[in-house]
Order: sequence, then structure tokens, then C-alpha cells
Amino acid sequence: MEPQNKPSLTSLLRPYLGILTWLILFTLASNALNLLLPKIIASAIDAYTGNHLVLTTVIVEFFSASFFIFVFVYLQSIVQVYASERVARDLRKDVSAKISRQSYAYVQTTNPAKLLTNLTSDIDNIKSFVAQAIVSIVSSVFIIIGASILLLMIDWRLALAVLAIIPILGGTFFFVLSKVRKLFIKSREVIDWLNKVINESILGSALIRVLNSQQPEYEKFLGANNRAKDLGMQILIIFATMIPIISFVANLATVVILTLGGHFVIAGSMTLGNFTAFNSYLALLIFPILVIGFMSNVIAQAQASYGRVQEVLDTPEPKPDGVLKEKLRGDITVKGVTVMYGERPALKDVSLTVKAGTRTAIVGPTAAGKTQLLYVLTGLVQQNAGTVAYDGRDINEYDPESLHNQIGLVFQDSIMFNLSVRENIAFNTLVIDEALNKAIATAELKDFIDGLPEGLNTIVSERGGSLSGGQKQRIMLARALALNPRILLLDEFTARVDANTEQKTLRNIKENYPDITLVSVTQKIAAVEHYDQIIVIMEGEVLASGTHAELLKTSPEYVQIVDSQRSTNTYEEQSND
Amino acid sequence: MTDYNLIAKAAGTEPKNAMLAAVKKLWPLMRDEKKILIIAFIAIIVNSLLTLFAPLLMAHVINTYFINKDFHGVLVYSGILLGMYLLALGASYAQTRLMGGIGQRVLFNLRNAVFNKLQELPVAFFNQNKAGDLISRINNDTDKLNQFFSQSLMQFIGSIFIMIGAGIFLLVLNIRLGGAALIPAALIIIITIATAAWVKRKNALSMRALGGLSAEIQESLMNFKVVVAFNRRDYFREHFEEANQKNYETSIGAGIANNTLTPFYGWGGNLGQLVVIAYGLFLILQGQFTLGLLVGFLIYVNNFYNPLRQLASLWANFQTALAGWDRISDILSLKTDLVVIDSVKDAEGAVKKIVSKEIADSILAFDHVFFRYAAGKDVLHDISFSLEKGKTYALVGPTGGGKTTTASLMARLYDATEGTVYLDGKDIRTYDAAARTKKIGFILQDPFLFTGTVRDNIIYSNEQYKDHSNDQLEAVIKKEGLEKLLARFDKGLDTPVLSSGDAISLGQKQLIVFIRAVLRNPALLILDEATANIDTVTEGLLEEILKQLPKETTRVIIAHRLNTIENADVIFFVNSGTITRAGSMQQAVDMLLHGKRQS
Repeated sequence: MEPQNKPSLTSLLRPYLGILTWLILFTLASNALNLLLPKIIASAIDAYTGNHLVLTTVIVEFFSASFFIFVFVYLQSIVQVYASERVARDLRKDVSAKISRQSYAYVQTTNPAKLLTNLTSDIDNIKSFVAQAIVSIVSSVFIIIGASILLLMIDWRLALAVLAIIPILGGTFFFVLSKVRKLFIKSREVIDWLNKVINESILGSALIRVLNSQQPEYEKFLGANNRAKDLGMQILIIFATMIPIISFVANLATVVILTLGGHFVIAGSMTLGNFTAFNSYLALLIFPILVIGFMSNVIAQAQASYGRVQEVLDTPEPKPDGVLKEKLRGDITVKGVTVMYGERPALKDVSLTVKAGTRTAIVGPTAAGKTQLLYVLTGLVQQNAGTVAYDGRDINEYDPESLHNQIGLVFQDSIMFNLSVRENIAFNTLVIDEALNKAIATAELKDFIDGLPEGLNTIVSERGGSLSGGQKQRIMLARALALNPRILLLDEFTARVDANTEQKTLRNIKENYPDITLVSVTQKIAAVEHYDQIIVIMEGEVLASGTHAELLKTSPEYVQIVDSQRSTNTYEEQSND
Repeated sequence: MTDYNLIAKAAGTEPKNAMLAAVKKLWPLMRDEKKILIIAFIAIIVNSLLTLFAPLLMAHVINTYFINKDFHGVLVYSGILLGMYLLALGASYAQTRLMGGIGQRVLFNLRNAVFNKLQELPVAFFNQNKAGDLISRINNDTDKLNQFFSQSLMQFIGSIFIMIGAGIFLLVLNIRLGGAALIPAALIIIITIATAAWVKRKNALSMRALGGLSAEIQESLMNFKVVVAFNRRDYFREHFEEANQKNYETSIGAGIANNTLTPFYGWGGNLGQLVVIAYGLFLILQGQFTLGLLVGFLIYVNNFYNPLRQLASLWANFQTALAGWDRISDILSLKTDLVVIDSVKDAEGAVKKIVSKEIADSILAFDHVFFRYAAGKDVLHDISFSLEKGKTYALVGPTGGGKTTTASLMARLYDATEGTVYLDGKDIRTYDAAARTKKIGFILQDPFLFTGTVRDNIIYSNEQYKDHSNDQLEAVIKKEGLEKLLARFDKGLDTPVLSSGDAISLGQKQLIVFIRAVLRNPALLILDEATANIDTVTEGLLEEILKQLPKETTRVIIAHRLNTIENADVIFFVNSGTITRAGSMQQAVDMLLHGKRQS
């Protein structure tokens, strides 16, 4: 096989040395016994010619040998299944654990579709390697070595002529495998691509139907699928060429023996009996060579897949976590924070302070960087420059778990899990029933949940298809409140909730969580006019901050936003009552 | 509404496993390949014959030319043998290449068919099934069929062919001994048939578990930011762990089922030999058989049982392929419930009543519409209204009141459970998808973008502007008054866009889908909270754009922000599945504030 790549797959197998030893032992045992069977037959025939044949002895011997073969093959196949499945399971566990420790940015940039292929079909390829290739190769090598020794013992000249094919075959394997591995890697990438197209067509299914764009979607898929077929064909052609050539070279050995051996026999330098024996051992030699040929396919795939999986496992993890677990008061200090998306800054030198227990609103146009600011505050996004500090200590000094348990973030896009309503709200496992009920009451979800067929235990469908936008948003709020957070970050919570519910929930938060530090990204000025501080952000920069009254005097941008909402203020004010 | 849940469906029915029926099921996949199959089959036969005959030729050379010390004859036959092997080289290349090609094309066609089917099915299907499981069906399960077609099928046929040949040889040589030698094979076949359903079921369970695993990964990765922000990295690990363990257990079940036959087949072969030796020696002792014949017979027994041994693993591949095919067929057999009906008769075949003038003149009307999701309570209850051409309507009301459902029925994402929706005076179900979607622009609540650029997304599925250059497109955008929106993207039309992720803000996504909808120039434009995350200044711009739409364009706006709806001609208040027409803005606000909410 390929010496330079073997180590990677063998290092994967090292922890399974114990079970693999059993696997190899059973394989060797059944193979050795298999070699014994012809002996029993031969001795029976000899016994018959020598006239001392005892039929029952032959039957008992043969039957027990074949029975033990059966037992060993059976054990081998069970051990093989367990070994391969354990390798796959453990590898999946390692990869998933690795991913779970990675940052949000990593999952975004690596592309979830690729990680899905890594965790499913890539690991399946490695599993096939363990399940099929190991046993086949061990028994093939065993037979090849055994048969070679026997050949050398019978006639070394002829044997050397035959064994000359082995380096030829080895060279062919080496060449083909190195060539085909690149194709396999490419074909894995095409599978990622297929996954992505399927994925987008599922997530965008409603849009596709609204626009009747099934055909363009199909064409996209066809592109990826065609590429997959082309690569499959290229790989196929290589193997369709290699495998017949290997069997041809092996068969060539038979021809060589017939000619050379014939010459020796006719010249009298070899007995006919020896020639016949030589020939039958040669037949024994050819089959394992073919098996290795077939297995080279499995090996090449496994190597390509393992390379991809290894890449995930080798990615460095985010820097070591801080250790502070102090209870937060709620002071937030942001100094000179810049966040880059490629070349474009999402946030430019942003500085602001929020005092514990106060309410702060962040307003500004679309794509001003408001959401990014909340992500920086929760450590979801790492700033390229500047610092974020809670109660005067840098965010990185805190244990992230402790921090996340104290900061509740309500995302603006609704993210639902295919779990019960209870599990969706008490998503963090530390949530106790009391906190859960308080969160539900605050988010005005009680009536809604009571109306569900199974109440809190009703299962939410994947992507929350069965819920309205406002219901999802309120579940998200309850999820954050259930943490009993010291700091609550709202990202456009009001966007999908009607004015009435919005007012009620905001009032509830004030009543039920009186000391909470609130930072609310919003578009509706009326709802935040009386907040302690309003910060205006535009194009990633802080333009102004202060109270409503101050901003009306100092910030023309703020005045513009307020003006854009003035006409409806009379109605909004009614809902503030 | 139709029940589209694949998992629940599969659990209910236990498929029968009849070999013939199974082959019949796979046949349609190969039908177009008939010619190639025949050529491949010939190649397989040639290859098998050469495999059978080469040893006979060798024996002939040894017996004749070696004994007679005729080296010339040896050389001649070596040449013939070489020729045969060259022929085998060609045949085995042809066989591998052709069958592999069939495998690749079957895989290609299957994936296309499944994907195409997914495109046919209504939104309800996607709400009831998990993305990860569907991906697994399209990728992993179809590959099981590919493996069978490209790797196993030809060996399968070759093995069966050699086996039958050797079997006939055995029976012809000595019918009694031959018959005895085949007894273990008969037992093996009985075991094989008896276990087939079990093997297939085990494989089906394992594939389902892999689908579940895939769904788990998909969900966790899509929602990774919540996983991180709520300290639930363990959630991913634990849920994955559970699915992984389940997959492990079912895979072991499938692996054991697939490997159970192998030792039996091997043993059967050995028992066949044993029977021949014991019975053969017995016959020899009785003087009815010779030793020379017995040695020859043993070789043919091996020729018979060796391919049978191979069949053991091939059979498991076959059962796996069948199980995969079942999972794929589950999708392929689904039908959309949104069929286009005859314009004169309704779905039940009754001649339709004549619509009122109000409905006939309207762009869109609901006539006593009821709607419920599969096995749920009424979401919409006896709703009737009509929308006049060129007017602006607002739908307001508490969350969960039925606004989005109403809009979805307008765009025929679902069909009404009872009652009729009329589009331009005709039953909406009489329009084909192309005609319907041309009239209706629907901006969905959750903006969805495809990975690509802003340009890709705004001309997505837009035949009219598909081939416009960037300059031409910008001119069109300017004409429609959309250029200020486009200016919000730093690289204009070429700004890259990712389907998932936060590189582009929700508000920006809403701008893109807004431009996309306006450029399609629909007669009815529905905005379902389409501007919820856009700042109020920009929103003012959008309102201007909406006002400038052709005057016959009807707009339906669903929104919470009151300023968004203040310019509406008519406001509908939607609550607990009913719709009330508000007399004025003030009345609508009153209803919003004081109306009893029931969600």
C-alpha cells in the first residue's frame, strides 16, 4: 500500500489495538485452518491408497476443522462489526466534541454543510476501511507470504520469476492510489456542495414556491450532481483500468510458469508433481492480489475522508477561557471596539458605557452594526481591536459559562429547536421551575402555552414552522429571561410583537426583574424615550449618546429618526398607558 | 392538509420482502440501460467462461505436451493462454466500466428524481420533515444503491453464472454425488431467504438512525449561536451523543445481520466438500466410483462454493440497497396536495357556481374560507373578504392571530380546508404555478437569501432581468426608485451574500428581498412583516417606493409598527382566526389595544 499515508490511518487505529488484535487473530486462525482442509483430504486419499482408510476419522477431523473455521469466521465478523462501529462512533464523538468547543465564527466560516459531510459520510468511509480492508489485507498478506514461501521452497528460480510481479503490482497501486486520492477529495467536496444546494432548497422552500423557482433550483442541483457524476466516472475509469490490469499481470504469472516450468519439466530439472503443486499454490496467490486491488478503492476513499476529518480535529480551539465567576453587577464598558468583516468594518472604534441597573437603547439604521455590538458583548464575535469589560474587568477574564449564565441575549432571528416548549425556554439546563414560570409570565406566554394541546410539553417543529413570528420571538425572550440574567440584551425584540404585547412584556420585565441592566436594540423611539441612555449608531460608529431630551438637542440624526416616526406617535403613546 | 411526515409513515408500514417484487422495484432504474446491460452481461459471461476454461487448458497442456516433452506445443498453448487472458483483460475492463457507469447514472438519476420531487412538494412537507434527514436520504441512501449497482451487481451476476455452470457440471458428472454435494447449498438458500426480511429491516433501522444523526447535526449547526450564547455546548454534544449511540447500536445490528450469512456460506462450502469426500469414499469403497473422479469432483465443488461465498456479502449489499430504495421511494411516492384543477369544475368535479361581481372584480378574494393545519384546530374560521385592484390593505392583530396563515393562503402555499380563494376572479387553484406566481409577490416573514451576490438574489427567478448586465440592471433599479436601497450595500450588486450567517444584517436581507419582489412587478404584493427589522428612516423610503408602484398594483401589508400601516386604504383586524374590517386607523388601534387576545 502507500507507506507515506499509512501512518495517519494507523494512528487512528492505535487505541483499538486490543480489539484489532483479536480481529487479526481470528482472521489468521480461520485462514490457517482453511489451509489445513486440503491436508485432511490429501491424507484421506493417501490412506485410501494405503488401504488403511477409516472413514469416521476423516469425517470427524474434517467436520471439526470446518466447524472451527465457522466459529472463527463468525467471531471475526462480529469483532469486525464492533471494531468498525466503535471506531466510527468514537471518531464522531471526537469530531462533535471538537466542533462544540469551537467558536460561532468557526462554524460559520467552515460551512455547516461540510461539517455535516464530515460527520456522516466521511466517517462512514473510514468505517468501511476498518470493516472491510483490515481483515482482507491481513488475510491476503498472510496468504501471499505463505504461498510465496511455499513457492520458493518448491523451486526458487520459478518462484523468483513469479514473485517479480509483486513489485510491479505494488508500483501500480502506489501510482493509482496517489492519483485517485485527489479525485476522491474532490468528490467529497462536491458532496459538500450537493448538501449545500439541498439545504438551501429546504430552508428556502417557501420562497422557492412563492417565486415558482423550482426549475432554477433544479438546475443548480443538476450542476452539482453532474459534477459528482463526472468525478464518479473519472474514478471509475481509473479502477476499471487498474483492476483488470492487475488480474492480467497475475494471470501473466501463470503463463510464465507454464512456459518456464514446461521448459524445466521437459528439460528434466523439475518433477511434474512439483510443477502441479507449484501451479496450485500460484492459484492461491492470485486471489489475494485481486482482493488487495479491490480494497485499494476503499483505502483511497478512507484516506481522503480521514484527511478531511483530521483537518477538523486539527483546527486550533479558541484561546483558553478566563476563570472569573463573580456575580455581575452589570456595568458595561466598551472601549475602541472594531470588528471587521473581510475588509469592511462592521464596527469602527465604538466606545460606550452602561451603568448597572440602567436601561439603554441602541438605535440606528439598518446595517449600522447594532447586532454586531450585541454579539461582541456576548463574546459570539471577537473584536479585532478594543476591549469589552464587565464591572471593570475584561470580558476575557471571565469564565464564559459564568458570563453566558448572567447575560441573556434575545436574538432577532427566531431560532427554535425541535424540542418541547419547556426545553426551548429552559434551554440552559440550570434553569429551575420557578425561573421558568417567571420568564413565561413575563414574556406573556402563559395563555399561549395553556392553549397548546400538551402545554409546555408540546413539541416545536424544526425551525418552529408551527409557530407565529411573535410567538417565536416571545419564546426567545423567555429563554433569555429564564437564565435570571443580570444583563438582558434585546435585539429588535419589538419587531415582530404587536404593540400591546410589547408594552406588557416590557412592563413585566421592569416589575419582575427590577435590578436588571437592559440594553435594547430597537427601531421604535416611543418605547425607549424614557430610558436612561440612548445611543445612536450609524455605519458602525457611535454618533451620539444621551437621554432622549439631550439627543433631540444635540443629534440631527436622532431627530431625523424621531421625525420619521412622529406621525404615528399619537397612537404609540396610547399604548404606553 | 396532507400528512407528509416520512418518519411516522415509515414506522407504520412493514414492507414485505419478496425477492421478485424487490427486483421489480429496482428495474425501472435500469430500464434505460437495457442495451448497456446486455453488453455488460456478455462481457461478464465471456469473463466467467475464460475463468472456467483457463484451468482446463492448463490441465490439457500438462497432460499432453509435458508428458510428450513437446516444448513447441507448450509455447503454442502459452500463446493461446496469453490471448485468453488478454481477452479477459478487455472483458473485465468492459464489465467494470459499463456496470460502474450504470451505477453512476442510476445514482445521478435517483438524486435528480428525489430533488425534483422535493421541488414538487408543498411547503407543508418541509414543515413536517427534518432537513438533515432529507439530506441523508438524497446523499447517503442513494449511494447505497450506487454501491450495489456499480460494485455488487456484476459480481452478483458473474458469481451466479459460474455457480450455475459448476452446479450443472457436478450433476452431469455424477447425479447422486452431485446432488449430495448441493444439499448444503440448498440449506444455505433456505437460510438466506428466511433471513432476508430481517437483514433488510436491520439495514433500514440503521439508515433511519443515520438520518436522525444527520438531522441532529443539521439543527445544532444551524442554531449554533444559541448553543454558544446559552452555554449549551453540551447540548450539541449530548444530543449528538444520543443520536450517535443510537446510530452505533443500529449499525451494529445491521453489521451483524449483514455478516451473519458469511460464516454459514463458508461452512456450507466446506460441508459440501465433506459430503463429497465421505459419500465419494463410500461409493469408491463400494466400487461405484474412482479416486481420479473424486479429485476432479472436489475441484468442481470448490468452483461451485467459492462464488457462493462471495454471494454472501453481495446479498447483504442487495438488502441494504433495497432498504435504501424504500427510504427513497417514501419520498418519491408522495404527491403534492396543491394540484391545479379544471377551470370549470371544482376539485370534486361539480360545476362551479358563478362568482359574485365583487369577487369577479377583485384581485383577490376569500369566500367562506376555513383553514387548519394537519390534525390541528381551526386557524382561520369562515373568512370572507375581497381586495380591490390598486388599493393598499393592512392586516393587523396580535401575534398568532392568523395573519401569516391568511397571507400564505393568498399565495397558495396551502389550500383552504374549506371555502375558496379567488385570484383575479378565478379559483386560485385553476392557475398553474407559473401564472399564479407571476401575479403574486409575497415577501415572507423570514427573509431567505441564497449564497451568492446581491445581484444573484435580486434577479433570482426573474426571467425578465436574468441576462441584464450590471449597468442595465442598475438602470432598471434606478427607474423603479430602488437605487437608494442598493446604495446600502458597500459593493453594490456584487456584494457577496451568505445564506446563513451574520455577515449581512437582517435588515439588509429584508432590503434585498424587497428589491427582489418589486422587480418582479406583481399585480398583488404581499409584505409579511417585511420591513420589521428596517429602521424607520429607510422604511419611509420603502413606503415611497410602494406608493410609486403602478396604480393597479394591490398591496397587502402585515405589520406591527403603526406608521407602516397608516397609509393603508383599508385595515383588517385579524384575531383568533377571524377578520374584521376596521373603519379607521383609530378604530384599528383601539382593537389592537383592547381586543381580547387569543393566540
